[in-house]
Amino acid sequence: MGRQVCVASAGFCEHASKRSDVNMPELVSEAIADCLAKVPSIGIEDIDAFVNGNMPAFEGANMPELWMTDWMGARNKPLMRVTTGGTTGGSVAIAGYYSVTAGLPGIDTVLAVAFEQQSQGDTSVGLASVAYGEISCLNSLGIPLEQLSRLLSAGAAIGVASYQATNYMRRSNITEEDLARVVVHNRHNAAKNWYAHLKMPNLTIEDVLDTPYISFPLRYGMVCPASDGVCAMLFTTEEKAKDMADIPVYVNGVASVANETAILGYDGAGAGQLDPSEQLGARRSSELAYGQAGISFPRKEIDYAEVYSPFPNQELMWVERLGLFEENTATEMYKNGTTAINGELPINCSGGVNSTNAIGASAMERPAEAALQIMGKAGNQVPRTVHTSLGHGWGGALNFVTLMVMSDEPQRKWR
Amino acid sequence: MSKMTRRKSMEYIKKEYARTRTMPASWYLNSYKYKYNVTHMKPFLDKLKEGKLVGLQCSNCNRVSFPPKLVCGNCLIKPDRWVDLRETATIATYTITYLKDEATGKIIEKPIACIRQDGCDTTIITELAPEINYEDAYVGMPLKIHWADNLEGSLSDIKYYDVIDDKSKDMALREKK
Repeated sequence: MGRQVCVASAGFCEHASKRSDVNMPELVSEAIADCLAKVPSIGIEDIDAFVNGNMPAFEGANMPELWMTDWMGARNKPLMRVTTGGTTGGSVAIAGYYSVTAGLPGIDTVLAVAFEQQSQGDTSVGLASVAYGEISCLNSLGIPLEQLSRLLSAGAAIGVASYQATNYMRRSNITEEDLARVVVHNRHNAAKNWYAHLKMPNLTIEDVLDTPYISFPLRYGMVCPASDGVCAMLFTTEEKAKDMADIPVYVNGVASVANETAILGYDGAGAGQLDPSEQLGARRSSELAYGQAGISFPRKEIDYAEVYSPFPNQELMWVERLGLFEENTATEMYKNGTTAINGELPINCSGGVNSTNAIGASAMERPAEAALQIMGKAGNQVPRTVHTSLGHGWGGALNFVTLMVMSDEPQRKWR
Repeated sequence: MSKMTRRKSMEYIKKEYARTRTMPASWYLNSYKYKYNVTHMKPFLDKLKEGKLVGLQCSNCNRVSFPPKLVCGNCLIKPDRWVDLRETATIATYTITYLKDEATGKIIEKPIACIRQDGCDTTIITELAPEINYEDAYVGMPLKIHWADNLEGSLSDIKYYDVIDDKSKDMALREKK
């Protein structure tokens, strides 16, 4: 079976809505430098292979790795690009894990880089290019384009998420105030995190509820920003990680599961997910990853979780679907402070995707942040010792889920 | 932000940097030739022209898809059994959009729903009747199909969905509250 893989380090660049002081390769090299600064014993020459990825067509440069080889330090080294939409970062991290665990001769240390510079291009054009084939198919089946644009007008990610939000609110009987509470939780945490984008230390629930609707039930104040940002993670073998880092973080379980699409079916067909907040893919991926990591009671064994939640309803939904809380109790946990930084199970102390969203990088920032919390090097560090943590990613038409479970000790039960 | 951004990295690549400039650029997107399969759509659209609704049932897992799916997502086989569907439906999920009307400049609130036709196991995105008040929409709201005046054998034959009386027990509880 594969080798035990460790995360030796993780790095970020500073996120902002417009990083006009740097271009894309410079932005990437910032995060790589931050990542390598945390492991002073090695340099760029010690890295054996590279994995990178971003959301295609968002920057108007469709093969960015082509121009970026020099800036990543990947010259004359194996380089691979992985891109799976919203979960790109999660898939890149998993590809980095696979590259190490495969045990190829000479490939021990792999640098995974996920990036996005959204200010450079038009996100809505990028998203339209994903679904345009389907839209034109419906068009040729008889729905006029003008009506289609109205149907899908809620616009890409926020549109599909608002359907999900309606369903989740109906299922668990929550109000908009409960959604706003999650936003406040995230933005307050982001204020303490050096690389976060939307830092709002004085935000209140009323402020969020004052903003207009974008599409019901999501308001302007609840929605994630569009950031420029990069995340880098250094994967290596157990032996090397012990030399590099004080506390090597063992990757004990990974999973990436795709379900049927929701909202929009293929070739004009009906969509297979009746309830977009059901998320069988998330349940299945948590089953797989917890099984590999030997976790039987996620609520008790996991000390910290980073979930992918551009919209507040998703944060509540994911923590339930990933088995951290019972069904329909997540709201309660946000009310009574269980998920706060000094609570029993802190969630998204980095501010989450709700405060910082560089799409391609977001899903990797989750496991990266979860790893840094174990190492004790996170921007907004949990005061309690974190032993086991969880990084989650989501994307696609509400149907892709990636998961990475990490711990400070190796789990060899499954080998 | 950009000026204030502390640059603490890049020593090993680039010691000094000049401010990066923004170059405006634009390019035409090509026209594309997407392919789609109509073997499953053709009988469906022919029935629509007669004013009938049919779904395609997977013979392995018995899931019915409407509009028909070429491949069953559960079983990876081709569904081949046509079943008749009723004209009623329920809202599976919905959202409200806030769009500017170009003629008047007013913001129009409009519910857009994902509906589940009774007797099938998939959802389809559609519009509700214009007279439905957007505040009244809810998950599980019963609907009935409103046919277009001239049936042409295309998806636009389903003009929109009308609301019908809700007789479920759920509704009685709702009113009591």
